[in-house]
This record gives sequence, C-alpha cells and structure tokens, in this order.
Amino acid sequence: MSFLTPLFLLGGLAIAGPILFHLIRRATKDRTAFSSLLFLKPTPPRLNRRSRIENWLLLALRCLALGLLALGFARPFLPKAKAILPSSKQSQRIVLLLDGSASLQRPGATEAARSQTLAQVRQFSDAQELAVLTFDRSSRTLVSYADWKATPPSDRAALVEGRLNDWKPGWSGTQMATALMGAAETLMETGTGAEPQIRQLVLISDFQEGSHLESLQSYEWPKGVELVLNPVVVRPPGNAGLQLITEENSATPASNAVVRVRVSNTADHTRDQFEVGWLRPDGNGFQGAPTKAYVPAGQSRTLVLPLPEVPGVQRLQLTGDPALFDNTVYVAPVPVTRARVLYVGADDTATPRQPQFFLRRAFPEGTRPVIDWTARKPDELTPAEAAAANGLTVVTAPLPATTTRALRTGVDAGGTVLFLAGSPEAVASVGELVGTPTLASQKASAAGGALLGEIDFRHPLFAPFADPRFSDFTKIRLWKHQQVDFTSLTNARVLARLDSGDPGLVEIPLGRGRVIVMPWGWTPEDSQWVLSTKFVPFLYALLEYSGAVPTATVGSYQVGDDLPLPDLLGNNLRMQLPDGTEVALTPGATNFSGTSLPGSYRLLGSSSPVLWAVNLEPSESRTLPTAADDLERLGAPLARDIPATADTQARNEHLKAAEAEGQQKLWRWILGATFLILILESVAAGWSARKNQSKLQEATA
Amino acid sequence: MTSAAPNSGSLVSPAALMRIRNLELRARVVVEGFWAGLHRSPFHGFSVEFTEYRQYTPGDDPRYVDWRVYGRSDRYYIKKFEDETNLRCLLLVDQSRSMSFGSQGYTKAQYAATLAATLARFLDQQGDAVGLLSFDQRVRDYLPARHRPGHLRQLMLALEKPAGGTATDLVQPLEHVSELVRKRGMMVLISDFLLPLDRVEQTLSRLLAIGHELTVFQVLDPREIDFKFDQASLFQDVETGQTLYVDPALARQEYLRRFEAHREAFAAVCRRLGARLRPVVTDQPLELVLFDFLRERSRPSARVRGGRT
Repeated sequence: MSFLTPLFLLGGLAIAGPILFHLIRRATKDRTAFSSLLFLKPTPPRLNRRSRIENWLLLALRCLALGLLALGFARPFLPKAKAILPSSKQSQRIVLLLDGSASLQRPGATEAARSQTLAQVRQFSDAQELAVLTFDRSSRTLVSYADWKATPPSDRAALVEGRLNDWKPGWSGTQMATALMGAAETLMETGTGAEPQIRQLVLISDFQEGSHLESLQSYEWPKGVELVLNPVVVRPPGNAGLQLITEENSATPASNAVVRVRVSNTADHTRDQFEVGWLRPDGNGFQGAPTKAYVPAGQSRTLVLPLPEVPGVQRLQLTGDPALFDNTVYVAPVPVTRARVLYVGADDTATPRQPQFFLRRAFPEGTRPVIDWTARKPDELTPAEAAAANGLTVVTAPLPATTTRALRTGVDAGGTVLFLAGSPEAVASVGELVGTPTLASQKASAAGGALLGEIDFRHPLFAPFADPRFSDFTKIRLWKHQQVDFTSLTNARVLARLDSGDPGLVEIPLGRGRVIVMPWGWTPEDSQWVLSTKFVPFLYALLEYSGAVPTATVGSYQVGDDLPLPDLLGNNLRMQLPDGTEVALTPGATNFSGTSLPGSYRLLGSSSPVLWAVNLEPSESRTLPTAADDLERLGAPLARDIPATADTQARNEHLKAAEAEGQQKLWRWILGATFLILILESVAAGWSARKNQSKLQEATA
Repeated sequence: MTSAAPNSGSLVSPAALMRIRNLELRARVVVEGFWAGLHRSPFHGFSVEFTEYRQYTPGDDPRYVDWRVYGRSDRYYIKKFEDETNLRCLLLVDQSRSMSFGSQGYTKAQYAATLAATLARFLDQQGDAVGLLSFDQRVRDYLPARHRPGHLRQLMLALEKPAGGTATDLVQPLEHVSELVRKRGMMVLISDFLLPLDRVEQTLSRLLAIGHELTVFQVLDPREIDFKFDQASLFQDVETGQTLYVDPALARQEYLRRFEAHREAFAAVCRRLGARLRPVVTDQPLELVLFDFLRERSRPSARVRGGRT
C-alpha cells in the first residue's frame, strides 16, 4: 500500500482527540436539579480520577472513523507490479539501435556510443535474440539475430566489440523516426523459435534536436515493444554549424557571385565568437581576412560572402567551434544553363502591349536559365529553322503551310509549341499543324468576360498553382476567345476549361513533342492573362515542361543524396570522391548514389569536368539533446528506466502513482467505510445514552 | 395508644397516592383510609368541641331552641350546632421553587399540598374551620378559615397551583399572617425550611405570641437527607438557577454535616418557641403523618410553651 498524499496521514493524529475527550470527559454537561445549594461546596475538578475510558466501543469507533478519514485523504493505492525486469533473459528479443549520424563525430561521442553499446551487450549477453543496428539516413545491421544466435554467450561481447571497432559514425543526417520504425518491425518479426516475451528496443543516440522525429506523429507502435533510451552525453555540450543557403536561380556573372551562409549556434553552447572564411586550396589558412560573426547561443546569423574567382569546389570554414564536423561548407561553381526559345509572331520587341513584349519581360536578363531568343515573323521563318525548333516555340500568328509542315517536323523531334489561337486563321493553322485541317472554330465573347474553370492541377503546367493559396484563377478575365471543337482530336487533353465549358487550354501530343493550344490572345484587349500573376510562373513551368532547360547539375546536395548525372555519358566515366578515390560509373547510369562524405565530387572521363559539392545536412548542426523529450511527447512506449535526474524521476514516480491511484480509487471505499462506521457510532452512542438514562431512572426510582 | 396506629399494610404509599391527579381525591383517599384504619381508635372525636347547651337569652334565634329539653325541663336552652366550632386552623403552605424538587417521582410541593389537603379535609369533616395561606417570598393566596360548603373546594384549587417564586421568605408572609389573623387558632406551617434561620425564630415567636398554636411540618426529600447521588455534575439550585460543580462522593460528608446542623438548629428553634416540629420525608405515607399529628395534638402536655409563662 502506497500513498499519493501521505502528508494527510498526519490527520490520523486527530485520533488523539477522541481519546483525550473520552479521558477528560467530565459530567459538566449533566445538570442535577437540587432544592438548595445552601449546604454544598463546589468540588475542585479532579481529572485524574476520571481519567479512564468509559466506553471502549464508542472510542474505538470514533478513532477508527478518524483514522479511516485520514487514510482516505492520503489517497492510498496498491502500487502496480513493477514492469517485468528482464530477468527471464531467455525469452528476450533486443534491438540495439546505434546512432551513426554526423553529430556523433563530435569529440568523445563516438567512444561513448561504442562503450554504451558494449555495456548494453554485456548486460544482455545471455538474451535469446539480439541485433545491433546502426542508423543515420538509413539503417544498417552490425550484428544480426543470426550472428548472435550462432555465437556462444561468452563470445558475444567480443563479437560485438569487433564489429563496433570497425564501425564509426558517418556524415549523414539523422532519420531517427524511420530507423525506429524499422527497428520496431525487426522486433516484431516472427522468428523460428518461441515468441519472445520481452521485445526491447534500446536506442543509443545523442538525441539531437534535428533527429527528424516528425513521422512518428502518426505511427502506431506495435504492441509489446518497449523503447529504452540510452543517451550519449557529449562533453562539452554545444555546437556551432555552418550551412549553405542554397540560392541557385541566380545567373549573375561569376565576378559578382556571392554565397550566403548561415552560422547557427545551439542554445547550450558557451561560445559566441566565430570566424568564417574561404580556405586555401591546400587547406592551410584562409584566403584573405575571415569574416567575424557574433552568434549568441540559440541564435543564428546569415553572412554574405563573395565567391572567390578560383575554379573548382571552394571550402568555407568556420572557426571558434571545437565540434569540427559541421564547420566546413563546400561550394561548387554553378554552371550556367541555357534554353532556346523561338518566337513566331507578327509583332517585334519594340511594340509594347504585344505578346513578344510581355514574353521578353517574363524572362529578364540575368536570371537562370539564360534564354537564347530567336524571334521571327511568320513569313520570315524558314522551314529549316522551323524544323530545328526542338525547344520551346511560341506562335502567336497564323503560319504559312510550308512553315507549318516544317514545324511539325520539329515537334515530332521533341519540340513544344505554344500556339496562341486567338483568331480563326490561327485555329486553322493549328489544324494544319496537328493534321486536322477541318478544326472548327467560332468567335465567342461572354458578357463580362469568360473565366478559367476546371483546371487540371495535376498537369505539370498547372502543378505550381496546385496549392490552394495560388489556385485562384477567377481574377483573370478573357474578353475574346475562340470556341474550338477539339472532339475530332482523340488524343487532345483539355488542361483547362472556361466557365462556359469551352476548352481553355489543350495539349495535343505529336510524336515526341506536343502542341499546346491557347485559344485566346495575349494582348490586354483580348484577356487579362499576361497581366495576371499566373503568367510568369506559367511560362517557367512551360519552359521546364518543354525540356528546354537541362535539369541536371542544378541544386545543392547533401550527404546521402543521389547525384544526377548529365546526359553526356561516354565510356570509362569515373567519379572522384572527396577522399581522392575513384569509382567507376556503369554506362547508362543516371544517378550516382555513393555520396557518403561531404566534399567535392568530380566526374572524370567526360568531355568537360562536372563538379558537385556535397554538404552535411543542415539539421545535423542542431545538437541540443531534446529528442528524448520529443519521443515521450510523441507517445513512444518508453520503458521507465531512463537514467533521469532525481527531479524528473520523482515527478514520473508521482505521475505513475497518481495514475494508479486514479484507476483504483480506494479512497471511495474508505470513505464509504467511514460513513458506515459513523452510522454505527451514532447507533452505539444512542444505545449507550439510552442505557445510561434507564440506569439513572432506576437509580432515582 | 400506640398500638392503635394504622396497620401499615393498609397504608397507601405516597408514590401510589401521587398518581391520583386530583388533589381533592387524594385527600379523600387518605382521610377515608385513615378513618378506616382508625375505627377502633380511642381518640375518636377527640378534637370535636362538645356541643353545649346555653340558656336562652332574648335575641337568640328561636330556631335553635332545643324543644326536647324544654319538654323535659320546661327551660329554654339554645342548642349549639355541631358545625359551629371554635377550632380555627390556618394552613400555611410554602409554595416556593425549592419545594419543586423531588426525587420520588413527585415533588415536595405536591406532597405538601396533599398533606395540607388531607389536613383540611380531615378538619373540615370534623367541622373545624380551615383556612389557607400559600406563599413563596410573599403571600400568594389567602383563604380565611371557614367552615362552609364550597370552601374546601376553593382551598383545594389554591393548593393545586404549582410552586413558583425564586426564594423562600418566611418572614414577610408570616408577618402578614399575624396582621390578618387576630383570632387565636391553630397554625400549621408546611415548608422545607431550607433557608437561613436567623430571622425565622423571631417571626415564629411573634406568631406564637398572639396565642396561636403552631405545628410545623418540615417536608424533606429523602435525597436531601442522604445525598445519595452517584455522578459528579453541575448541581443547580432550583430556586436561583445557580450552578455548582459537585462531586457527591467528595461533597457528601460535608453536606450531611451541614444539613444535620441546620436541622438541629431548626429543631432547637422550634423547641424554644414551643412549636410542634414534625419532620416529614416525602416517602412517608400520609396516613402516618396524619396519625402522628393527631396523636401529638391529643397530648396537651406536649404543647410545650417553652420557658414562656
């Protein structure tokens, strides 16, 4: 029997009350009428003569009632049986999950993780099944159940120790949630032997803040799995990190290029003065003077640094932080991407408020990709040029038949044509282009303008607008449009319809390419389309969809990411890793997936060398050990033997006690018993009083 | 003489008697029982003044002439009627609050009233004039001594009033009596006399000085005499309401000593004054009290006049 509020037991001291009252009870309440006090003298009260208990039953009942009341207020409960301690080791299945992420590269952390894992292994050395997994972005098995079973118990620690000595933490980020879910499934595997009674998952980690636990939110833990947290304490705590802020859409000339980096500092760090600068190629000292950064604990600062005009991958170094693992950032020169756009229209760039005018302003100078413009009047476009148009072609005017046929060749070869068919002649031209000369159309104009409805947001052209914040097209009014009947084209896909039901945007695949028909004009007299906020994102989506922009080598990479390989594969291609080793690439491979180290990756053997910079995952720098609390908050089935501080342990004990007490509610029974005893007491007191009275009457009769 | 005492087996116990609610009925039970027990008594008619003949003098009512005597002796004699008596008895009954104590199931006041009623009825049956003066610290009711139909009933009614008052004061009522009653007669004083005696003697001596014959009944409860209480408690004075914590086991000796001293002192006063003192305990049958009273009274020698000449 334990008590939730044992202080109330002091109320039991009130039992002394009835005892005292019973002892010192004087007949002060009894009055005897007498004819005259003439001959009487007052008697001094003599308690000791009366100090004997007269009614044992009443006294006992009253004491019992008070005692029970105090007991009830102390909220007693029967403590739950302690969680079954792993004494029956034969029926245990244990998974030791060892964090091998980059944050374990901090000084002392690797050794601590190793020794803690070994300590756990020694503790469970005679367990039936045990596996040691290590995880960062993904999980790997160090010791499998089979290895464990095949080793006699006396050699198991040596086995694990041997494997651990070969192991060291990697450079990837921490995907703790994925690892936990995988390990829990491993625990639940149905093996060949008897089903284990205890399935314990021991997590050995530094529980850093950036452990990516979000997906545990909706995870339902399998029944019977118990999670034991075994924190690796890193001394000294705190870490400052350097992260590249990716900003890849800038195509500014290399002389003006800047790099933005963020210096972050964890809340438990004691330092706040750092320096950031470009390392020399040989790694000794900075190129020029480093930039000083003052970052208080728990905050971050963004620095803008000019990119040095040196070829190759540059290294940016943070100094002032003893945890070196995240102090270097690799910056690769960003290659300029180019896209070819052919414009065919009656207007020229100087004419304002015409389609080409708007189109040119949608792709201003200095942005990525760099557009190679070709503008032609319909009659100036040579068939050779038309046939070579395998990029993006925007046609705003009807085309001569010969040009149309040549353009068809270009489309078949993979070109994309955006045809603005705002006039019957243009519709007829579309008909010729797609091979249906009888494409019927008629001019339509709705009062107040037509609106775009029924948009297929799954299509890549409209995918950027799929978010509800951007999906409102009702502000765009189309004053004039052509009502085109595409029913004869079976492969035509309507991407958007007008509110009248007419097709608003139609994609017609042709060969390897496609024709996208927009049956309205771009001038402000025809529609509000070019003036709307959707115009520019639509054009970029179109550019990407057309394949005019090469997607490879764009972006920033983190350790563990796949590097996309460009289409310039030759024979004998090799990837040079940051440590200098070379890995041969299989011909036809589109990705390279061996990015286990941060640094520069160089593609060798191609016509022009391609460089990638691979950095640490930025969340690895968030090393504040809060993930243990997060796990508890996310409802992980934690075993209660976490080495917690005395304070939290006491709190947890109290919570458990409160829970047990709340379930048992013994106080109700005790209170009921108290009431019963009080009733008994009343009955007994009444009986006693009656007895006394009748005795008195007998005495006086 | 003493052998003629009423057979105690035929006596009505006071407790049984007190269960009769009507005081008149109670008095009748006692008196009739007394008569029944007294049928061989040599004291029959002792207190009746002998009827006498007186020679007729002009002015007498001719109705009262005894014509038989005239027939025999040829003289006119006036016959004195039996209901004409020269015994005038005044019952002085204490109805103060102290009389309302009783441990026997009835109070001293009830017992005293029954005693007074019994005496009144008895004397009335004998043809004596009976009067009543009830008092607490002052006179409550006064009925002059008379012998006439209805008087007894009035007297009973006055006796049936419950005890009241906050104190017992003999002085003032008795002085009142000595002013009211000039004719000599018999005074029967019924009280518990639980009061300071300093002025009692003086008052009583004045009463006796007028020539009254004084009989004193001191009515006491058995508990007052033996003080047999077993529990310590707050003892409350029924007159004043004053309380006192008393443990009987400890206070009993002292009480009995002081109580006896008081009784002795009062008895001495009565002896000195020549008053007959009859201590009555409320568990005593009333017939015995009446018997003793009559026996006392039949011995004129017992009428001690003290040292007075």
